Amino acid sequence: MSRLHDLNFFVKLGTAFALMIVAWLAPDWRWGIPFAALVLALLWVTRVPKLGGYLKGAGLLTLMVIVSWMINLLLQGIAPLDALAIAAKMAARLVATTALFYFVMETSTPGAILAACSAARLPAVATLVLSLLFGIIPMLRDEFERIADAQRARGMEIDDVSFLKKLRFALARGVPLLVQAIRTAHAISFSLTLYGFDLSRKRTTWRDVGLMVEPRMTWKDPIR
Amino acid sequence: MLLAADKLTLGFGTSEPLLRDATLALAPGGRLLVCGATGSGKTTLMMTLAGVIPQITPIARYEGRVALNGEDVATLLRDALFSRVGYVAQSAEDQLWDLSVEDIIAFPLENRATPRDEVRARVRYLMEDLELTELAGRRVLTLSGGERRMVVLAAALASRPELLVLDEPTTGLDPAARERLCRALEQAAEHVSGVVIAEQDPAHLAPVTQSLALIAEGTLSAVTPLAPALDDAALWTRAGLLPPRKPSGLRPAVTPGRELLRVRGLQTRLARASGKPVLDGLDLTLRAGEVLGVIGRNGAGKTTLMKSVLGLMPVAAGEIALDGQAAQGWTTARRARHIAYVPQSMRQILFHMTAAEEVAFARSMGEGHEDTETVLARYGLGGQGETNPFALSARQQGQLGLACAEASGAAIAIVDEPLLARDLAGRALLETFLGRMTSQGRAVMLISHDLELVDDVATRLALVGEGHIPYDGPVGEGWQSRAFAALGWPAPYGTARESAA
Repeated sequence: MSRLHDLNFFVKLGTAFALMIVAWLAPDWRWGIPFAALVLALLWVTRVPKLGGYLKGAGLLTLMVIVSWMINLLLQGIAPLDALAIAAKMAARLVATTALFYFVMETSTPGAILAACSAARLPAVATLVLSLLFGIIPMLRDEFERIADAQRARGMEIDDVSFLKKLRFALARGVPLLVQAIRTAHAISFSLTLYGFDLSRKRTTWRDVGLMVEPRMTWKDPIR
Repeated sequence: MLLAADKLTLGFGTSEPLLRDATLALAPGGRLLVCGATGSGKTTLMMTLAGVIPQITPIARYEGRVALNGEDVATLLRDALFSRVGYVAQSAEDQLWDLSVEDIIAFPLENRATPRDEVRARVRYLMEDLELTELAGRRVLTLSGGERRMVVLAAALASRPELLVLDEPTTGLDPAARERLCRALEQAAEHVSGVVIAEQDPAHLAPVTQSLALIAEGTLSAVTPLAPALDDAALWTRAGLLPPRKPSGLRPAVTPGRELLRVRGLQTRLARASGKPVLDGLDLTLRAGEVLGVIGRNGAGKTTLMKSVLGLMPVAAGEIALDGQAAQGWTTARRARHIAYVPQSMRQILFHMTAAEEVAFARSMGEGHEDTETVLARYGLGGQGETNPFALSARQQGQLGLACAEASGAAIAIVDEPLLARDLAGRALLETFLGRMTSQGRAVMLISHDLELVDDVATRLALVGEGHIPYDGPVGEGWQSRAFAALGWPAPYGTARESAA
């Protein structure tokens, strides 16, 4: 875990927006691809969790973007090399954008987001929306992996099989994932009510929040 | 009265209400234990006493009144109510989401705009008091069931409630954690005026409760003193519960058969903060006909052992053999054809649309041949074949787990903390499962913190601690071993049971 992960959520979010704008202003693929590669390298250097999974998804995204843009541009009569250059530029933009927000999402726990929002004295509704928006995807992704482990533990061979079988088994995870998503939503709603979350009241936080957000409580100077 | 329930009738829309005309009163300083079998209505009653029903979870039939210091909990403003009532649900997961330990404990205070220094001081106090400091910074969803429960308890105590309502708080706790829970409840007496606890086993919480009410057949008994009731075996049996001080029985005697599982020098990649592997040089065998009771502190490595054997966790060194064949290189799925896994929460491993499909799938993965309906009926699920597994109660899902494990024909079953064994009907189902497995030359690894259960049904005891197995041998001798003494836990059934062994 890099110290960068403890950066204040809003600093990360603001930086991600700024870099995303740079990616979208890149004039062509000669600038766009190196910039996207630089962003990916940043993710690797800062040891963002589960980067392998993201790279697989990004690879698929790149392929889909290039293919769809190529078809579109070729149908409009643009020369293949020119079409490829445009498609590569678009793919680079998307990779850079998704990578930047993947960094924000993976390195910001819902607790750290709650703390940053509370310290900024944001309205409770904004606090809640931001925490859930950036927190729920990793939660569901972890759940998806846990269900895969459960399938393996019941004898379902999901690793050493054809792509189609893998896909079928992945779809079988949909039912428990849906159930779990509903349970998670219920647990969040239940705990918000039980623990006094009120949209009309601004929260406080136990964390020390500045440029960095205190990740855990330490016992160097115990009270008792 | 601090808490008064008057003629409560509660139901979920079926013709018969779950609970009829329940009446109880709790004076300030009162500590009440409510016991009943699974499905008797304890959870519904606890939710109602806490005001969760009807404030958060409305139900079809709610008659009568619950008053907190004379005020109707159904009409109090939610925030005012839940700042005066601390509640720990039966399933701690129902009130947790992906926050850190400190976040969860601080959550009620932060939401009520308590100043930061005060929040920090309170969180520190509770984490030290409940010995949770080792968990600082951990995300609660990565904790064990017992650890999660202690965190939720800390959150319930955070806002210094007048009334604390705990629904089966000892579930998943090892004996040391149960003692910490009792200590915390004693210390909470300074701030918490009344405590109501629902449990199936009264023995663990007897030191911190004074009175008892039993639920059976939709009726709540009158409140009576707890101490004399503990020796009244008939009282508990009538309520469908295992008597807390039941006499010792004979331990099952077996002659173990061939070796089904052999683990040698197992070392995990997963390491503790000190860098020491969670399991380091662990040896274990399991033979046909055995029920191996596996015990150890919360976090000792029992789950890691199970996951390593199943192939769900990477192993740094060591050998694992299943049925005499080296299995280190096998995929999890291949190992699972030899090992059926029944987790504490079956929701984790269900993924079909009907109970019958779950059993059929289990059978197709192994060597089972019995028809689905027969297996389901054996475990109390006759006629439920077409029910969606997620629509079953947690208890029924546990029964389905046993049915699937048996149907799979797997030589070994790993049963992790079988909660259904805490009442008479559930214990009978578990004993049916164990009897059938062992009589067919199969074996069971039973992981549990319920030492009485282990004492009753295990044929051998293995204690996990310090990364290996410091004791592996006969059950009776295990309770008197140096390794068990080092845990500082009371032996099950006390000394009387030991001499019977």
